[in-house]
Amino acid sequence: MKQFISFIIKEARHIVRDKRTMLILFGMPIVLMLIFGFAITTDVRNVRTIVVTSSLDHLTHQAVDRLAASEYFTITATAPTPQDAERLIRSQKADQAIVFSPDFASRRGGIQFIVDGADPNMAQQWTNYATAIISGSDASPVNSKMLYNPQMKSAYNFVPAIMGMLLMLVCAMMTSISIVREKEKGTMEVLLVSPVKPLMIIIAKAVPYLVLAFVILTTILLMGRYVLDVPLQGSIVWIYLVSTIYIVLALSLGLLISNIATSQLMALLMSAMVLLVPIVMLSGMLFPVESMPRVLQWISAIVPPRYYIEAMRKLMIMGVGIGEVLREVAILTAMTVALLAVSLLKFKTRLE
Amino acid sequence: MNAIEVHHVSKSYGAVTALDDVSFTVGKGEVFGLIGPDGAGKTTMYRILCTLLKPGQGKATVDGFDTVSQMADIRRRVGYMPGKFSLYQDLTVQENLEFFATLFGTTVEQGYDSIRAIYNQIERFRDRKAGALSGGMKQKLALCCALVHQPSVLFLDEPTTGVDPVSRKEFWDMLQTLKKRDITIMASTPYLDEVRRCERVAFLDQGKIRGIGTADEILTRFADIFNPPGIKHAQSGEVTDENVIEVEHLVKAFGSFHAVDDISFSVKRGEIFGFLGANGAGKTTAMHMLTGLNQPTSGTGHVAGYDIRTEHEQIKKHIGYMSQRFSLYEDLTVQENIRLFGGIYGMSDADIASKTDEMLERLQFAEHRHDLVGSLPLGWKQKLAFSVAIFHEPSIVFLDEPTGGVDPATRRQFWELIYDAAARGITVFVTTHYMDEAEYCDRISIMVDGKISAIGTPAELKERFHQPDMDHVFTHLARQATRSSD
Repeated sequence: MKQFISFIIKEARHIVRDKRTMLILFGMPIVLMLIFGFAITTDVRNVRTIVVTSSLDHLTHQAVDRLAASEYFTITATAPTPQDAERLIRSQKADQAIVFSPDFASRRGGIQFIVDGADPNMAQQWTNYATAIISGSDASPVNSKMLYNPQMKSAYNFVPAIMGMLLMLVCAMMTSISIVREKEKGTMEVLLVSPVKPLMIIIAKAVPYLVLAFVILTTILLMGRYVLDVPLQGSIVWIYLVSTIYIVLALSLGLLISNIATSQLMALLMSAMVLLVPIVMLSGMLFPVESMPRVLQWISAIVPPRYYIEAMRKLMIMGVGIGEVLREVAILTAMTVALLAVSLLKFKTRLE
Repeated sequence: MNAIEVHHVSKSYGAVTALDDVSFTVGKGEVFGLIGPDGAGKTTMYRILCTLLKPGQGKATVDGFDTVSQMADIRRRVGYMPGKFSLYQDLTVQENLEFFATLFGTTVEQGYDSIRAIYNQIERFRDRKAGALSGGMKQKLALCCALVHQPSVLFLDEPTTGVDPVSRKEFWDMLQTLKKRDITIMASTPYLDEVRRCERVAFLDQGKIRGIGTADEILTRFADIFNPPGIKHAQSGEVTDENVIEVEHLVKAFGSFHAVDDISFSVKRGEIFGFLGANGAGKTTAMHMLTGLNQPTSGTGHVAGYDIRTEHEQIKKHIGYMSQRFSLYEDLTVQENIRLFGGIYGMSDADIASKTDEMLERLQFAEHRHDLVGSLPLGWKQKLAFSVAIFHEPSIVFLDEPTGGVDPATRRQFWELIYDAAARGITVFVTTHYMDEAEYCDRISIMVDGKISAIGTPAELKERFHQPDMDHVFTHLARQATRSSD
């Protein structure tokens, strides 16, 4: 036990004395949260809109006022014909035009959107928002209600995703690098030729990163709650418990990488390439899994963050009980056990 | 019972045979030397005995325990210093020692008696990071770490490579004191004076044991390898009175610490100038200033006629430089490396092509032209690196410990190349820890505590200090150092 503790202290010293790595480890979550929370956002805001209408009757007037009052749209101009509006959009003066037909008031319809479709996802959202606002007038037959995220804030979506990405990267990358570094420096040889059990070396290596991961997790949750106003609907205990499973999974993945990699650079590249790309592309973090081609959906089924992010969205945003995420937790647990077993079996007690 | 028994051990990595039917025994309390050229299989032997590798065939026991089936027992009772530096650079001296003590289930207090003699010398640096220690200090600390749990067998894989002669002597004096405590020591070394301090020596070459016996027996029997006839330095008479290096009152200070403290000397064209000093005496800093890598704090200097303060770009064009660490790009072939460095110095393609042929011919290297440099033995790499350093015919070549970790025969061949270059009029400025190499130089300077404490021909220095050889001259001067070796 004493050996174990002194091992952990030693490991902690490595981490603390490497100022630059520390800065990256703690700077990364904060910077990412701020970037995703404020800069990269798919929220609709201040869309430059042109209104095309010939008759300003009462109903049209009301609809335009509602558009202008919303924070989503800014009415920059009114144009007499759709052609004029299109020209304005083409010359980058506006993002979209809403054309009200002259008989809009009488038949409660007849709207055309002319939208800059360079970013199809955003274009789709603008028309959805505009439709909702225009039809939101008292007489409108369509009424939509957003559950869990009434303001449609993208931070709700990103915070769990950042957790899934960062925890995986920090744990897998840092453990694999720290083990491979000892191999490279020749200290691993000395450790192996000591009476200490190899299993203990591994666990002691992992513990500081486990702690670090919890610090990062807490940072993200606090920032999400108090800076980005993302609610924590579900139970904190469950959020931490599911995260623990996920962290252990990431640590065993790092261990597995350290078995294969022979240099720190290789460990870094493997964790960055092998882990980062599938996490970002296939975990449902940026692109919904449901709209992927079938083959990619199969691949995404073995990407662990997919289940973690899903579980976190349910627990944090929807505020459901643990019963609703049993499937995700079960899959994560199974993956953890399998990965841990493989990496422990593969850990070499000799140099071969 | 013998401390170490090795019976017909073989080991191969793929097609490469590292050890081929090796057998020997080491008695309890013996100091046993395992010597041989780079790549002979020494490290593999250590790793097998330390249970880090399984032997391919055969059987080995340490302290009566089998290296394969009784791994845990062996790991409890051996100390091991791998060839590579085996400490945590970012932990302090004290932290390293405490960590390794706990690792072996003991404490520094319990093991203190066994390491006191060694630890006394580094204890004043206890709060310094291991990475900031000098080479000799690091080795002493590594030895402390390997000894703190009072092992019964100690494996030392080239523990003194890159360490200056005084520190090496102290290191081996410590090993002698361990013998009194009945600790068995198996060590390898490229230094002949260290080989002589072993009771018995096994000579390993290309995976086979060529002979086992007392140090003198082995060194005599394989004299052509370990002590090849000294090469005669044909005084070509080309040493002119023209100074290619002139340095006056050169100082380099880092804060209040004067790494180089007011040195003045000159080197003549075509001379082989040995620049000696203990670890931390300021050699490397001085060399960096001469090669334009570092600005002097004060003082003046001219190299190849250019001012080291203002014209370092010119200097770089007219010198060659070979450091111990950097040799060549390992993932390029011999020819590609030559082509690259020729190109860097702005030589024409035709020039490069013709000189490449000529150089490979001279080195008898032509058939390895398309081999990757990484696949060559260390000795060849160094010869190649030297040839590349003088490929553009510089007027001076700076060599920073060019022969570290190489066996005597290869070093001798390396020096033939140096003489060859000097005969062609290239001035050679060389640092080394091998005192036999110091004897090969035309003139040498010995730095102590940032100052040049002696300068002259080897014969002059021996006479002035009344010492039989350069080794004694060096030890005599370096022992006067007051600066903490760092």
